Amino acid sequence: MSKVKNWHLGREMEYPYEESRPKKQWAIVFDLNKCIACQTCSLACKTTWTSGKGQEYMFWNNVETKPYGAYPLAWDVRVLEKLGQQSWAGGKYAGKTIFEAAEPSERAVHFAPTDQDWMYPNLGEDDCAGTVTNAGDHIGELPHDRWFFYLPRTCAHCTYPACLAACPRKAIYKREEDGIVLIDQSRCKGYGECVRACPYKKSMYNPYTRTSEKCVGCYPAVEQGLQPQCVVNCIGKIRVMGFINPPWNARADNPIDYLVHKKQIALPYYPQLGLEPNIYYIPPIHADRQYLHQMFGPQVDGAIERYRALSKDPVAAGLLTLIGSSERILHSFKVEKGVARGFAEDGSPIVDVPVTEPVIVRDAFDEKLGTARYNTP
Amino acid sequence: MNLIKSTFGALAGVSLFCVTAEAEIVAKAVRGDVSKPQPAAAYWANAPVEKVSLIAQPMAIPRPAVALTPELRVQAVHDAKWLAVRLTWKDPEYSEAGHLGEFSDAVAMQFPVKSNESPPPIFMGAKDNPVHIFHWRAQYQRDQEKGKPEMTDLYPNLSVDMYPMEFKDPGTLGTSANSGREQFSPGRAEGNPQSYQKNGVDEIVAEGFSTSSVQEGHGSAASGTWAAGEWSVVIVRELNREGGSVLTVGGKTFMGFAVWQGGASEVGSRKCVTMAWTPVTLEGAQAAAR
Repeated sequence: MSKVKNWHLGREMEYPYEESRPKKQWAIVFDLNKCIACQTCSLACKTTWTSGKGQEYMFWNNVETKPYGAYPLAWDVRVLEKLGQQSWAGGKYAGKTIFEAAEPSERAVHFAPTDQDWMYPNLGEDDCAGTVTNAGDHIGELPHDRWFFYLPRTCAHCTYPACLAACPRKAIYKREEDGIVLIDQSRCKGYGECVRACPYKKSMYNPYTRTSEKCVGCYPAVEQGLQPQCVVNCIGKIRVMGFINPPWNARADNPIDYLVHKKQIALPYYPQLGLEPNIYYIPPIHADRQYLHQMFGPQVDGAIERYRALSKDPVAAGLLTLIGSSERILHSFKVEKGVARGFAEDGSPIVDVPVTEPVIVRDAFDEKLGTARYNTP
Repeated sequence: MNLIKSTFGALAGVSLFCVTAEAEIVAKAVRGDVSKPQPAAAYWANAPVEKVSLIAQPMAIPRPAVALTPELRVQAVHDAKWLAVRLTWKDPEYSEAGHLGEFSDAVAMQFPVKSNESPPPIFMGAKDNPVHIFHWRAQYQRDQEKGKPEMTDLYPNLSVDMYPMEFKDPGTLGTSANSGREQFSPGRAEGNPQSYQKNGVDEIVAEGFSTSSVQEGHGSAASGTWAAGEWSVVIVRELNREGGSVLTVGGKTFMGFAVWQGGASEVGSRKCVTMAWTPVTLEGAQAAAR
């Protein structure tokens, strides 16, 4: 085991391989306050990558309803249960990661899902925590005592992937150029160790090819400077893909660094597992705070507070308008004179968006054309 | 580091680093043809049974917690061209994999490649000192007998509107349409042997853990039967396998073994293995004439 730096935990941790950060790290930020579980991302991914034989059950991108939904069944509850109760001390993780808590004969604390666990990808959809006791009940408190939220998930292309650590064939690798984690389809023998070890359950076994497969981060698009299919097809514009730096190299003009490091409103999920996952969530502001603490760690209160204050910050508001405004990867951004501007890696402009759309009021009747105006397209 | 120390400590403590085991396999010379794997052939009645001890694979992580298969019974015969090995072990459950999270019963035997006098490390060989492995799986045997399963064989109630690769008319694509179909099956598109039909047994060359590579062509065959909580598998191989191990009549070599109980989720490095090479003698040709 090596000692590696995991900034999500605020400490070093044990991992089977040495720390080796890629030149750039693929990352997605999701605003969970905006996701409506339309599953357009899931279908964009499905039609792009998993329409073949043996992939019928696969959703490399899925959206589940929290707290009761999970794909595969109860993945989160089961891995947390295996890990046992752990704690944070201030901003630092005082518990054990899945690598540190593993038996000497295993790489990670894990559970092995069966096929039944994968067969109900949307079980628990829209199931609410708390009970509705009377007809006409309304939610009168904040945070809400009855709540649920949608959690879209892809592979997190972790800095310390458990799948990679557990593969006895060393058939999984993390790309130096963008941090995307891939299973070598020519070497995989389908032992399913990655399926067992990944706590987020984002490695999946293909019973037709008899190899394991996973989200490829849409690397062919990323190589051309484009964001993944699940991101560019998001109709709610709740997500943005870019490259994240570790906090010691953070750049305030990098959209991902800005949201994660500067404003600190986007957090990794289940950081306590120890993988340094690279999908980040703006937590849902109305959900149960204890639950959010478990999922996002102790930073969640501050993140929600800062998110609430975001509308007063013209730069942040500008960045949020840039999200979903281009399918190209924004390497940097700038907000000036009411315009948010996104730039490519070489600094060339990609897109300009007004931070506030102009409001135009038109009469219901068009005198010039002599006809009534309708607001249907 | 502590882990490595304790592993080696445990091994040294039970003297498992000796090169050879207590058992010795004598491959009886028989008249006739042993090139077809026949678990119930008459010649097995006269072949001595060697009991080989296995332990839970102790080196590569992940490892099994317990040794599910502590003993393997080995018999061998040869006809001067082919070596036939019958391997018998107890396994309470027949498992041939197929569904998600299911694994196959399996057995493997390995031979040194470079030298029949001084074999490489038993743990699947070492760099520049490979081993030649014959790996049988119940899953591979099923392939051979019934063909590689379609999704509807594995999941009879599966319902799919259409697969994009199953178009009837390739149109202007002609024969190039087939490579287009494979794009929907990444393992096949990459030519992974795992994704194609198997013939009972894989021949593999390895130079240490995680280096195994399936060889093309077949100088071997296998057939197994499971009954009353016991597998009996016969693997036959050519004595002289170019690019692999070479055995000679009247000569000696070594063998190592591994067993997987798929029903108990044993797969890959989760297996029981022999910790020492078992010496093997191929009885001289004159013995068969007797």
